[in-house]
Amino acid sequence: MTSENASDVQNAERSAGAEARAASAERTRLVTRYDSVRLSHGSGGKLTLELIEELFVSVFANEPLRELTDAAIVANLGGRIAFATDSHTVKPAFFPGGDIGRLAVAGTINDLAVMGAKPAYMTAAFLLEEGYDMAELERVVRSMKATADEAGVAIVAGDTKVLERGHGDGVFINTTGIGFLPDDVRLGVGYVRPGDKVLVNGTLGDHGIAVMSRREGLDLAVELESDVAPLNGLIEQVMQVAPNVRFMRDVTRGGLAAVANEVVLRQAFGLRVFDVAVPIHDVVEQYSEMLGIDPLLAANEGKVMMIVPPDEAEAALGAMKAHPFGREAAIIGDIVRKPEGVALVETAYGTRRVLEMPIEEQLPRIC
Amino acid sequence: MAEGGGAPGAFRPDTYKDPELVAQLSGRIAEVAAEIGRPVKLMHICGTHEHEIGRYALRDLLPEGVTVLAGPGCPVCVCDNEYINLAIQLSLTPGVILCSFGDMLAVPGSIPLEGERRGDVRMSLLDARARGGDVRAVYSVFECKRIAEANPDKQVVFFSVGFETTVVAVAAMLKRGAPDNLTVIEANYYTPPATSLLPELDGFDIEGFMLPGHAVTITGLRVYEHLAERGIACASGGFEPVDVMASVVSLLEQIRDGEATIANPYNRLVKYDGNEKAKQELDEVFELAPIRWRGIAEIPASGYKLREAYAQHSAARRFAGTLDEVALRGAEHPKGCRCAEVTLGQIRPDECGVFGKLCTPDSPYGPCMVSHEGTCRAWYTYGMHKERLTVEAA
Ligand code: SF4
Repeated sequence: MTSENASDVQNAERSAGAEARAASAERTRLVTRYDSVRLSHGSGGKLTLELIEELFVSVFANEPLRELTDAAIVANLGGRIAFATDSHTVKPAFFPGGDIGRLAVAGTINDLAVMGAKPAYMTAAFLLEEGYDMAELERVVRSMKATADEAGVAIVAGDTKVLERGHGDGVFINTTGIGFLPDDVRLGVGYVRPGDKVLVNGTLGDHGIAVMSRREGLDLAVELESDVAPLNGLIEQVMQVAPNVRFMRDVTRGGLAAVANEVVLRQAFGLRVFDVAVPIHDVVEQYSEMLGIDPLLAANEGKVMMIVPPDEAEAALGAMKAHPFGREAAIIGDIVRKPEGVALVETAYGTRRVLEMPIEEQLPRIC
Repeated sequence: MAEGGGAPGAFRPDTYKDPELVAQLSGRIAEVAAEIGRPVKLMHICGTHEHEIGRYALRDLLPEGVTVLAGPGCPVCVCDNEYINLAIQLSLTPGVILCSFGDMLAVPGSIPLEGERRGDVRMSLLDARARGGDVRAVYSVFECKRIAEANPDKQVVFFSVGFETTVVAVAAMLKRGAPDNLTVIEANYYTPPATSLLPELDGFDIEGFMLPGHAVTITGLRVYEHLAERGIACASGGFEPVDVMASVVSLLEQIRDGEATIANPYNRLVKYDGNEKAKQELDEVFELAPIRWRGIAEIPASGYKLREAYAQHSAARRFAGTLDEVALRGAEHPKGCRCAEVTLGQIRPDECGVFGKLCTPDSPYGPCMVSHEGTCRAWYTYGMHKERLTVEAA
C-alpha cells in the first residue's frame, strides 16, 4: 500500500467514526424543557436534578451514576491505581474531526494510558455559561459517551455549575479518571538508554492546524481532521509485543518539541529527531508553511511518543500500524549519548538544529 | 532512517527542498568562494530568511569564508517606540479596542513597567491588557474590520506593523471602504531606503544583498538598483533551502566577476517591476514619508503614511490631543539591549551581554527577542549561538 493510500484509509476510518458518532448523537434528541442553560440548572435544585437525570444519567447510562449518590461506588481495581485530571477548553468547541466532549474524555484517558494504566472510571464536571445552547450541550455529552465507550471507560460521577452570562466561554469540562496499573509496568525517563528508538503513532500537528483553521479570522477551507482519540487500545497492543517500552507521553500542546524537551531535561543523553522520518500530513505541511508554524510544535490530541529499546522497535512499530490510530506510525529518531540534555533535529541536508522548548501557543506569523 | 517513514509527508522530493539539489548548490558555493579566494560577507534583510536559515541550519552548508548576516528585516524589531507607546495608551483608553498581530503584543515600548524588579523593563501591549486594556490579536486587517463592524459604538484601532506585504493588505481594505470607527496606527516600513543607509555606516563591508522574496514580489527589484550602482551585488531570495542557496551562488558569482547587478534567481514569483496592481493600490492610499527605525535613525521616504483622502482613518490624527505626549517619547531600547547593532548586522545576537540570560524568548528584554522574525529570537530558538551540534550516537 502506498503511503497516500494509507492516509486515505485512515481518513476514511476517522470520518466513518465521526459519522457514527454524529449518528448516535442524532438518534434520540432528548426533550429537556429548556433550549438553553439557565442559572438554576446549576443551583442544586429542581432544574439541576432534571438536567442530571434527563441528560447526564440517560446518556452516560451506567449503574454507579444512576444511583445518584453523593459519590460513585465502583469495584475494586485490585492493585496500584493511576489517577489523573485535566480541564478542557477549546475554541471552537466543535472542530473538524471532534469536539470538546471527545477531547475531554480522550485527554484524561491518554494521560492514564501513557503511564501504562488501564483506564476504568471517570468523572466529568461541567462549567456552563448561562444561555449555552442545550442541544449543543447534548451533542457534547453524547460525544463524551461515544468516546468513553470506544475506550471501555464508564463516566460514573459528575457535577454541573452555571456561570453568569459573560463569565464563561460556553462550556468548560474537567474530567478525572482512574485506571488500574499492573504491577509489572515500569515506565519512566530513568529507564531510557542511548540507542533507544523514538516512535510516534502517526502524523503530527493535525489537531493544531485543524482547530486553527476554524478560528475566527482565518476560516481556511482546510481538508483536515483533528486526530483527537483515546489511545489506551493502541498502547495496550504495543505493550503486548514490546514489553520493555521505556517511556511514553501523549503529544499534546507544544507538540513533539515539548515532549522531546521534557524527556531530555537534566538527563545524560540527547534526543535526535530525523526531519525526513517525521510523518506530516500534506495539508499540515502546506498550511504550517503558509502560517509560519512549525508542525513539530503544533498541537495533537491523539498522538503518543514512545521510547523503545532498539530490539523491540520494529515490533512496536508493527503493533502501532496494525491499530486504526497508528496506521501512519513511524520511527522518527533515537536517543544519543551526546549532546546531553538537548533535543535536536537532523535536517534532510545533514545539518542540525536545536529543537527548542516551545514557550507559547503557535501564532501565525506576520510578514 | 528512511525505513521509519512510509508516511505521507515523510520527506517528499519537493524540488525546492530537494537535498540533492541543495548539496549541489552547496558544492557550487564552495567552488566560487575558492575562486574568490578571500572572505566574503553577504546580508539578507528579511526575518523569514533568518528563520529558514536557522530552521534548516543552512549556515552549516557554507564554507568558512562565506558569512550570511541578518540585516534590518524584522518589522516588529524596527517599529519605533512612539508607535508602541501610542498603541499602549490607546488600548488603555475607555471605548477603544486595540488590534494587532500576535508578535507585536509582547514588544516593550518605553513606558516603564511599574513594580518590575528584573531591571529596566518596559510595558508591552500584553501588560496593557493585564491592566484592563482591550487588546486583541488578529491574523489580518480584514479581521479587524469585522471587529469594527461588530462594535459600532467602539473605536477600533489597528496597529499596523509591517513591510510592503502588510501595507498592501491595509491599502486594499481601506480602498474597499472601511467603517468610520476603524483607524490605523501607521507603523509601516519601506525597506529600500534603509538599505541605502547601510553603506554609509562605519566599517560597512557587505558585498552582496539577498533581497527579500515576499516584499519584492510587490515592489519589484528595480527599487534596489542604487545598491548595484554602488557595486554591491544583489539577488532575489526565496524561502526554501534551494532558493536561499541559489541566491548565495548568484551573489558570489557576481562578486567573483566584479559585476554587481540585480539577479533574479527567485523568478518563479518575482518580476523585475513587481506587482503593478498592488503598487498602484498602495500608491492610491499611502505616500512615502520619513519614519523612525527604532534605535537606528529617521530615514527619509521609508515609511508609509495615509494620504489626505484617507486621513480620517489615521489613529494618530483622530486621537491627537487626547494622549500624553511625553509618554509617547522615551529612550529607544532598554538599557543594555543591543538590538540596533544586531539589526544592522554589526554584532551577532550572542555578543549582546544579556542574550540568553536576562533576555530569552519566554522573557524577552529587547524587541529582537520577541518577534519570530527577530534575529535574537531565531538564534536562540534554533541554537545558532551554540557550537555546531556534534552527535555521538549509542
Ligand atoms: S539579546 Fe535581547 S537585549 Fe540583547 S540585543 Fe537581542 S533582543 Fe536586545
